[in-house]
Amino acid sequence: MEEHGTAPRRQDPSLRPLLRSLGLELLFYAPLVTAYFALVLHFGREPIQRLYESGRASYAYLSLALIVGQAVLLEILTSWLLRRIGLRH
Amino acid sequence: MVFPIAGVEVDPFLLALIGFGVGVMGGFFGVGGGFIAGPLMFWAGVPMNFVVGTDLAHMTGKSIVAARRHRALGNVDLRLGVLMMVGTIPGVEIGAQIIERLKVMGDVDRVLGMAYVVILTVIGIFTAWEAMRALQIRRRTRLPVDEVLGIPSAVRRSRILRIPPLISLPTSGVAEISIWTILLVGLITGVLAGTLGVGGGFLRMPLLVYVLGVPTHTAVGTDLFEIVISAGFGTISHALKGNVDVIIALTMQTGAAIGAQIGALGTRYVTGPTIRLAFSFLPLVAAVMVLLRLQG
Repeated sequence: MEEHGTAPRRQDPSLRPLLRSLGLELLFYAPLVTAYFALVLHFGREPIQRLYESGRASYAYLSLALIVGQAVLLEILTSWLLRRIGLRH
Repeated sequence: MVFPIAGVEVDPFLLALIGFGVGVMGGFFGVGGGFIAGPLMFWAGVPMNFVVGTDLAHMTGKSIVAARRHRALGNVDLRLGVLMMVGTIPGVEIGAQIIERLKVMGDVDRVLGMAYVVILTVIGIFTAWEAMRALQIRRRTRLPVDEVLGIPSAVRRSRILRIPPLISLPTSGVAEISIWTILLVGLITGVLAGTLGVGGGFLRMPLLVYVLGVPTHTAVGTDLFEIVISAGFGTISHALKGNVDVIIALTMQTGAAIGAQIGALGTRYVTGPTIRLAFSFLPLVAAVMVLLRLQG
């Protein structure tokens, strides 16, 4: 048997704060993610398709940028909004 | 909805739902989930040549979300992740070379497929056995920690794995470990990932826990960090070859980003052995998927 002595027992918070925190986060995050997708779809669909056909290297880097942008920027924006309205410190 | 790059009409809600499911799984277990998302995308109607590249693209975004969440929870060991990556990159290349050799010999799909099934089954059964043992030990001894292993990690058992230079991994709670051991784990994962054409999360996570002695939560977070790098690299590579439909990837990521948040946060409330016990089903599911694919 082995125990990881340096790994302390995690806090055992109850389910309610978890759901509250998650709910608040998703309340802001989910619409932002959906809006981002809708914006890309509305304004970027045709230019992206043209780029796919004419400039594969640019398309590759743009693809990664759009994916990373959705993942990073929206989370930062969510955190900022939550802090701004005092729901997260 | 029509996705003109891949040239298909697929229900976007179905894609987002697949993304959500894989996102929860990825955030919780620290795997990319390509072995499940890939077949589901194909089933939804995405052409096979776009499945791998597009899956990698959505995997990158989902893993960034989950890795950032795990980092905030203190579950990402950057030092370990970077060192392991040094071993993984040549490993992937070696794996690709093995594939090329096997292609010359013929019947590569069947040989690799069966090897894959054996490896996955062994990992699944071993992880389930160890996790159940750890849970029994924890119940019996009432240890005040949430991370108990049913067996000693290889690093603690073997002196061979203590070849200098030795470093410490404070984030993982590992006082002393050989750099060579970390590189070797990265290399093995890379070779298997390169040979089998997978991200390797379900190979890396058990190796981190059972070989390096990294706590499960840190293994999950660090694994996600590795996936961000490897899947990001794979996205560029496949996009250059025309195998990525970024609109499909973004559709899936809309669900996956939300799922990954839920999955990553979920690890806060579950102990290491419980995560490993649940994880043990994944390699077995993947083995069944491969068997089905082999049968055509």
